[in-house]
Amino acid sequence: MVAPARPAAPAPASTVPLKRRKAKADEGVITVGRSRSGTILANTAGIVFGVFMLFPVYWVLNTAFKPADEVLALEPGFWPSNPTFDNFISAFKAPLFLKDMLNGVIITLFAVAGALVVGFLGALAIARFQFYGRKAIILVVLVVQLIPFLSLLIPLFLMLQNVNLGFKTFNLTNSLIGVSITYLVLILPYTVWTLRGFISGIPRELDEAALIDGCTRSQVFWRIILPLTGPGLVATSVYGFIQAWNEFIIINTLNSPDKQNLMAWLLQNQTTRGTAWGPLMAGAIITSIPVVIFFLIIQRNIATGLTAGAVKG
Amino acid sequence: MSVVDSPATRRPDDPGRSQQGRVPGHVAPKRRRQRGSSSTPWLLALPALLLIAGLLGYPLIRMLVLSFQNMRLRELLSGRTPPWVGFDQYTRVLTDGVFWAVVGRTVAFTFVSVIISVVFGLSIALLMRRVTRGVRMFMVVAMMFVWALPQLVAAQIFRWMTDSDFGVVNYLVDKLPGVDYQNHSWFVNPWQGWSVITTLVVWAGIPFLAITLNAGLTQVPKELLEAATVDGATPWQALRNIILPILKPLITIVTTLSVIWNFGLFTQAWVLRDGHPEPQFQTLATYSYTQAFGQSRYSLGSAIAVITVLLMLGVMIFYIRQMFRIGEVD
Amino acid sequence: MKRKIAAAAAIAATLLGAAACGSNSDEDAPTTSASGKVDGAGKTLKVWLMVDAQSAWKSVVDDASKRFTDATGAQVNVEYQQWANHLTKLDATLAGSDVPDVVELGNTEFPKYVFSGAFGAINPADYENSGSWLQGLKGACDFEGQTYCVPYYAGARVLIYRTDLLKKVGAEAPKTYDEFLQTAEKVQASEKANGKFGAVYMPGQYWYAAMSWVKSTGGDIAKQEGDKWVGQLSQPASIEGLQRWVDLAKKYSKADPTKNENDQANTFAQGTAAMFYGNAWEQGAAEEIKKDPNDPNSPMVATKVKGKLAAAPMPEVPSFLGGSNLGITEKSQQKELAAQWIKAFTDSTSMAGLVKANALPNATALLDKAAADNPKIAPAALAAKNSWFPPNAEKWADVEKGAILQTMLTDVLTGKKSVADGAKWADDQINSTLNES
Repeated sequence: MVAPARPAAPAPASTVPLKRRKAKADEGVITVGRSRSGTILANTAGIVFGVFMLFPVYWVLNTAFKPADEVLALEPGFWPSNPTFDNFISAFKAPLFLKDMLNGVIITLFAVAGALVVGFLGALAIARFQFYGRKAIILVVLVVQLIPFLSLLIPLFLMLQNVNLGFKTFNLTNSLIGVSITYLVLILPYTVWTLRGFISGIPRELDEAALIDGCTRSQVFWRIILPLTGPGLVATSVYGFIQAWNEFIIINTLNSPDKQNLMAWLLQNQTTRGTAWGPLMAGAIITSIPVVIFFLIIQRNIATGLTAGAVKG
Repeated sequence: MSVVDSPATRRPDDPGRSQQGRVPGHVAPKRRRQRGSSSTPWLLALPALLLIAGLLGYPLIRMLVLSFQNMRLRELLSGRTPPWVGFDQYTRVLTDGVFWAVVGRTVAFTFVSVIISVVFGLSIALLMRRVTRGVRMFMVVAMMFVWALPQLVAAQIFRWMTDSDFGVVNYLVDKLPGVDYQNHSWFVNPWQGWSVITTLVVWAGIPFLAITLNAGLTQVPKELLEAATVDGATPWQALRNIILPILKPLITIVTTLSVIWNFGLFTQAWVLRDGHPEPQFQTLATYSYTQAFGQSRYSLGSAIAVITVLLMLGVMIFYIRQMFRIGEVD
Repeated sequence: MKRKIAAAAAIAATLLGAAACGSNSDEDAPTTSASGKVDGAGKTLKVWLMVDAQSAWKSVVDDASKRFTDATGAQVNVEYQQWANHLTKLDATLAGSDVPDVVELGNTEFPKYVFSGAFGAINPADYENSGSWLQGLKGACDFEGQTYCVPYYAGARVLIYRTDLLKKVGAEAPKTYDEFLQTAEKVQASEKANGKFGAVYMPGQYWYAAMSWVKSTGGDIAKQEGDKWVGQLSQPASIEGLQRWVDLAKKYSKADPTKNENDQANTFAQGTAAMFYGNAWEQGAAEEIKKDPNDPNSPMVATKVKGKLAAAPMPEVPSFLGGSNLGITEKSQQKELAAQWIKAFTDSTSMAGLVKANALPNATALLDKAAADNPKIAPAALAAKNSWFPPNAEKWADVEKGAILQTMLTDVLTGKKSVADGAKWADDQINSTLNES
């Protein structure tokens, strides 16, 4: 957030919107040139914009509920004349759909949970400690976010084929573990960086007061830092979830179809006999649902979460 | 990519923000600048560092090494060490007109798409402050849906909508009087094709920009704007002289991020061109991928990836410096 | 960090070790025999087939696997791959040690992998009908006197046309190319009212078609001179054929010049064209579609053109012989089992099953019988006898993957380049790709 002032009070500045001046709902509303006709104009523009944004979403739904012959009609109908769930049933019955869905859930949960735990510890280190090498760690965390991951595909594959842990050699390709760890690392730098922001938003005075009151370091962690970072953890996990759920290039190269996720399934679900648009769009909707639900659940946090963990899906 | 801690939020005199060491287990409020015992932070950061080193660092080094070799399918399959060729791959890439055309195209696309996205995003954010509550909710919900759509799905939707035989876009454009867009192919003319790709990228990017910037706008002090109105400022002047300067740090960061994302354009071009982008639709990312995985020129593809990173270095350093400044690093 | 370095060293060591036995292009490369009995009890064979097998003749696969299991005791695990990404995945997988034992690839994709040592040599005599394997398929398997794959099935392209529309203008299946053009002209005129109608559906990046036209005038794509490949598209004979194709597509086709032929049956089914150039099975694909495309046993739904289609060889245009081969991966640990499975999957029983599913068998000796057994593929079987296939060059797959021909075709169709300029450009690209060291 951009306002120069931040609360001196305990609330972590970066996660709680300004409350200093009795915040009114329309704070920051542009009042300049406000008039009735202007409002009507603005509302019209807003609605037109919303409709424009939603059109492709509407078109996907429209296609998905059409029977096969209507999908490929030369005059596209703007409403399915015989709405049907056939395309959805087809997607669900399709080979590997449910399996890949389950895989996706497992991989995503593992990657997000892992990245949160590991990332939180790392964030704690750079946000709360001053030590030799801290800058280097921050630099690493920032730089690795910018590497095009795609270009690492071949070396990554060669490496996962043969992971030597000293006592035994593992082949982690074509396994859920290999992809899960890869995704974990994929979202880790971002997680560290974002959580760092949230942790350093918690004033140190809080820690200190607690310490003076006789709390131990670990109590400070459990009772102050962790609860106050809650919204940050949510925002960060949303980003991680989206990244891990939406990835398809890596998993498509590392794993065979029975160990892939829904996104890779979607990519492959084009038969040789041409693209089956109806089931494809139905599959796309099913695949997007978890992300949409996740967005809706954290809707309350989204204004704070978004600016804090400003991400692009 | 934390946008919240923009430089403006920092107050040098904020005591909670100054740099101090913390000794775990010690109650040491007075020893503010003391360096912590060095093992605890390292232990905390160790898992993260190990994972990054193993799964990002090591492949990255392998990629660098690869770019000085000549790895083709034969070497990949047999596992033999590819022959060392020094800078040959780089010479080959850098002397290739096709490569420079790809670079120019990628840069131009990034430039245009980022400007459109940011201007649009800012306009929508301003609009959101101006509309009534219900309309604002509608706009937010619409943007949420778009934001939530996976990239792959969004790209497939656009491919379907712009299909030359069954696409709804042709159908609608054809309805305009005097326009024949039946069976129109959007990817014959590179300008039209890139317009489709840009529309997709902007459309998918607006929710992030508009919602972030809108959140920034809520922090613009109302008093300032009211005072400006009283002083007779036009809306344009208010925007230029009050809103933009306050939003500047936020805009800088979202713009930098958009540059980094759009420069790496892959999925959209890939899906819209059905997995085989023609030369006029290749970007650096698809070009590197096609060279490596399509043509089995793994080393050449790696060299292109390395050059891509180097080309981005300017923007990246700018971004990292911004972040460093934000991150109360010094 | 140390662990990672250790891991890296271990990988390097393993890879170097593998190199010692990884070379197979030597003169004395051992051939895998498919004769004699193999005991495969407790083993599982991993097979990669393309998705066509799953959607069109899964029963043939299952039957062959069952016979294989009965004979050897080994189980079979078949994975079906998509055409769009199968090569990338194959590369990544073959680079490792856990590889499929049998892999299907398109015939034009094979040379690159044979040259790169991905497949082990086989003994043709072990397989049924190997004496008359289709040259267009087998050519891709030959390298330095050895054979590295087994032809699997073929497809030849034919003219598929609307009987009703042709009848309306008093035409029948054309016997000559001129007749074909006249028919197109007449149909085009009679359907003038429909703005979306084009007499011939010919998508712009359909290079199998365009190159067939090049062949029809005696042209060629590339030929070997000494140890170099030389692009032939800018030779007069090739230009003539290319021009012929461009004239046809420009005048009679409403198809997207940037699309390939993948969706042509679906599009044709909408009734906006009278003729198209396609595989035998595409006639069926245009007449009826699966109600549920994800279900192999789904009931079929008739399209607008149901019962109105017929096929005939495209007059005076030699057909591109597409198809697939099966290879045994060099890294396979159970090559003999793999050979047994291929043997079962390519024997006359399996071939009869493929013919029923509208595919062409792998040998000329079977073509006549196939035409008699399944009239639907009779024109294709006929066309297969006058067929061509792309240059058998190591890097040919890179020409395909690099979309060189596709790009050139779109460019000349849309007038961005003249035919001569386009051909010259494609020749340059082909030369540098095929001769790259």
